[in-house]
Amino acid sequence: MQQKVLAWVGLLFICFGLHAQKNVTISGTIKDGSTGESLIGATVSVEELPNTGTTTNEYGFYSLSIPPGMYIFSVSYVGFADQKERVNLSVNISKDWNLQEGVTIQEVVVTAVKNDENLSRSAMGTEVLNIKEIAKIPVLFGEKDLVKTIQLMPGVKSNGEGSNGFSVRGGATDQNLILLDEAPVYNASHLLGFFSTFNSDAIKDATIIKGNSPAQFGGRLSSVLDVKMKEGNNRQYNISGGIGLISSRLTVEGPIQNEKSSFIVSGRRTYVDLFAKLSKDFKDSKLYFYDLNAKANVQLNSKNKIYFSSYFGKDILGFGTAFNSNWGNSTATIRWNSLLNSKLFSNTSLLYSNYDFNIGFGGNININSNIKDINLSQDFSYYYNPKNTIKAGFSVIHHNLTPTTTRGTEVQNIKNSRKAIESALYFNNTYKPNEKFNFDYGVRLSMYSLLGGDTYNIYNENSLVESKVLASGEIGKTYLNLEPRLSINYRITGSSAMKLGYARNTQSLHLLSNSTSGNPTDSWIGNSYNIKPEIADQISVGLSKNFFDNKYEINIEGYYKKMKNQIDFRDGVDINTAPDIEKELLFGIGRAFGMEFLVKKKSGKLTGWIGYTLSKTERKINGINNFDWYNAKQDRTHDLSIVGIYSLTEKWNLGATFIFNTGNAVTFPTGKYEISGIPIIQYGARNSNRMPATHRLDISATFEKPSKSRYQSSWNFGLYNAYGQRNPFSIDFRENTTTNPGKIEAVKSSLFRWIPSVTYNFKF
Amino acid sequence: MKAIKYIFICMILFTSCEQIIELDLNENTSQIVIEGNITDQSGPYFVKITKSTPISEQNNPPTIDNAEVTISDDQGYSEMLEFIGNGVYQTKKLQGVSGRTYSLTVKAESKIYTAQSKMPELVVLDSLKIVTSTFGGEIDYDFIPVYTDLASIGDHYRFILSINGKQMKSHFVLNDNIDNGSVNSQHLQNIMDLSPIIGDQVTIQMQKIDANVGLYYATLVQNTDTGPGGGTTPSNPPNNISNDALGVFSAHTVQEKSAVIK
Repeated sequence: MQQKVLAWVGLLFICFGLHAQKNVTISGTIKDGSTGESLIGATVSVEELPNTGTTTNEYGFYSLSIPPGMYIFSVSYVGFADQKERVNLSVNISKDWNLQEGVTIQEVVVTAVKNDENLSRSAMGTEVLNIKEIAKIPVLFGEKDLVKTIQLMPGVKSNGEGSNGFSVRGGATDQNLILLDEAPVYNASHLLGFFSTFNSDAIKDATIIKGNSPAQFGGRLSSVLDVKMKEGNNRQYNISGGIGLISSRLTVEGPIQNEKSSFIVSGRRTYVDLFAKLSKDFKDSKLYFYDLNAKANVQLNSKNKIYFSSYFGKDILGFGTAFNSNWGNSTATIRWNSLLNSKLFSNTSLLYSNYDFNIGFGGNININSNIKDINLSQDFSYYYNPKNTIKAGFSVIHHNLTPTTTRGTEVQNIKNSRKAIESALYFNNTYKPNEKFNFDYGVRLSMYSLLGGDTYNIYNENSLVESKVLASGEIGKTYLNLEPRLSINYRITGSSAMKLGYARNTQSLHLLSNSTSGNPTDSWIGNSYNIKPEIADQISVGLSKNFFDNKYEINIEGYYKKMKNQIDFRDGVDINTAPDIEKELLFGIGRAFGMEFLVKKKSGKLTGWIGYTLSKTERKINGINNFDWYNAKQDRTHDLSIVGIYSLTEKWNLGATFIFNTGNAVTFPTGKYEISGIPIIQYGARNSNRMPATHRLDISATFEKPSKSRYQSSWNFGLYNAYGQRNPFSIDFRENTTTNPGKIEAVKSSLFRWIPSVTYNFKF
Repeated sequence: MKAIKYIFICMILFTSCEQIIELDLNENTSQIVIEGNITDQSGPYFVKITKSTPISEQNNPPTIDNAEVTISDDQGYSEMLEFIGNGVYQTKKLQGVSGRTYSLTVKAESKIYTAQSKMPELVVLDSLKIVTSTFGGEIDYDFIPVYTDLASIGDHYRFILSINGKQMKSHFVLNDNIDNGSVNSQHLQNIMDLSPIIGDQVTIQMQKIDANVGLYYATLVQNTDTGPGGGTTPSNPPNNISNDALGVFSAHTVQEKSAVIK
């Protein structure tokens, strides 16, 4: 272990000291000229130095150190017109850029943007979503949804029809780290999974990294979904919103200090229950959710900026006084950006995240579970020279996890909360030795320590070995893991590149769920004496090629992933009431491999992509399926998605998506028998059957009349499942009691067919 | 969990259709099924031996009529059961007693199957309480078996529900994971297929079962509770019979109470 550490640390420093030449630095922020929103991932290049350039970080900041001289700087960002300017660089200077949006597709300026950034970036398995594009993609109920759009990417699979849960490269739903302005969101869906917690009006940017994340991310095995909220317009006040069939949205934004700081408040509420209330039988029912996003930033001086952001969302489901439940996330983030010098950018964050589930029956019984995090993190970005960009930092999270607890007048089942500290130390360097190579390498040291306040039982098989009482204030078992990360990009020719990546990820929080799609009642559990951190090692190889002036892009990636310390349950366990759930856990290993193909058309009247994944994911758990390998439930051999957006006229945009995928791996009956007169189904090997395949076409049309006035509006019409395919949501096996007693039939339930939607959006 | 039931009803609001479909199932694995019960009531007690069949077949499972079936207890008593036809074997003299462990041995098709079950201590069923709630304009009936759980942890109960003398085809189990040692207030769950009306007579049989039998029936409940989005991955319930036989051997006490829906 120690030798490994030394080897890595050695490697980290090899690349420095090569360029001791006296350089000067240009640094600043790149913004959207009309709103003042900072642009993430905008590129800065120098015409005289072809191999020199940088991209803005998550706060829109860039820094570039080059020898003094007179240069033409070129700044570009997808969808925006290039900006070029001659700058005499003799001393360190600070320079901000305001880019103007390319308005229509005919605009040659926009397509002139150097569109081959995908070939020089080493990031593997990474997709950045353009929020503007999301609006044109048809979705269920017309509710634009970034998670559902991500599910159309190769390697990302939806848990089921309409579901917001997703599986990345064979991982489980709880193996995705979902961040909203850095704060983890523990349950990213509303209304039983049909809607994501992300109100796209409040979202600026979303990136998914499928397992090969840089060292600043950690804590989940499969992926990172990094969602950034908008900062708000710092030039003028705006009100925008939308009215849809099932929900409405409203956003207010504007400057605090003109051109320096801003705020945004965005809300959304659904009203399905208003329709339900029209029916006499359901007049007492409550069924809705709402979201509230708020963010503000204040510029203290030219070097310091503070951001406050918060999210609050809740689902309410109830019937009169008999049954009431609510669940939701709340997060809050305070971040302090500080420019220590022109090359060193610092960000300090203090985060709070809470997920809470409550259910009550007529005031007699209340069931509750909860997870609460407080997190302090410090990140440094050091723009050492054009060849090396170093990121380093640490993070400390205090977790407080309350398992499902029942309180009532007659029933009591109270469990102690468990506390733990999860911390990490990381170092990452992006190294570009020449125009051919780009290395991204780093290491993350992650730690998880149990804190006192509860009794931890240690089991061998399922018999108790020891009961360990950890007194409050005492520190129990600590798990330490070293996670190396590496990705290499090699530019073969001007239009093609090869990529290679390896990453180890570990996970210390695990979702206790034994249902296929996940329930809001599922609660989280941390490592313990029995539960060890889950570990995944992933290697991936990729090839990218651009065609026809970078209009088309092809990406092929293959991956192989090995997982350790995977968790499942014994048969027959009620995960909510078991006296000690740890006694009921089973452990094992997993493996996943696959090939992902993505063809993208990035410009022209028709844009969109075709994504195809061929994959396999299996588990081997001691106590399940005779300890033999079996298909994980999210295993699907083929997964195809086609997305097209066509700009018909200046006013009309058309969108269509088509998906086809193999059914999930499931366990179907192999026979039946009877016990005391009740028919009972006999099952075979676990997950050895398949749900029928799913395919579906969704279409949409957006009408936007270009308007010279301040008031702008658009209409969006959609049709989900346009040809009315009855896709399987679930298959139940039931006795036919009427015509054929004793005969058991397979009954397929389908959810949505021909769901139309209409949404009116406005902005002034 | 009852919440699941409500959530499920919400899902139905979205559900557009149900369809009976043909699936290609792997149905060539007929297995032996053994069901044996010993109670604290007077005998005879029965053991039934059949074989599992494809799910689309009507109820005529093949029976095993030439097995050698023996039951013994931990007090040294042993007897061979008598074949009475249709795969059923019955005891002659045996009287079930709480606290004794019973062993079953079945020799059939040149294999030996064994099982053990301990008859737990009797818990008296005091009454059957029926409570009503309204959902979506319909009256919902909930059944609460009233009994005082034993002070020790690990008590398991199974219930058979009959309405107007007709046995319901659902499994009901309770345990003392919640509320050990107190008067039961938990509802019987998994009652979606019942729709009793006013005037119906509801009879409940309570069986106090051992932990293995409890796990068997609890797994059956989970298998049938599909819930929103598919529920738990189903499996053959872990049982107390060796050599991969299906079924269960249960020594249990029996209590019964009735009530009329008003």
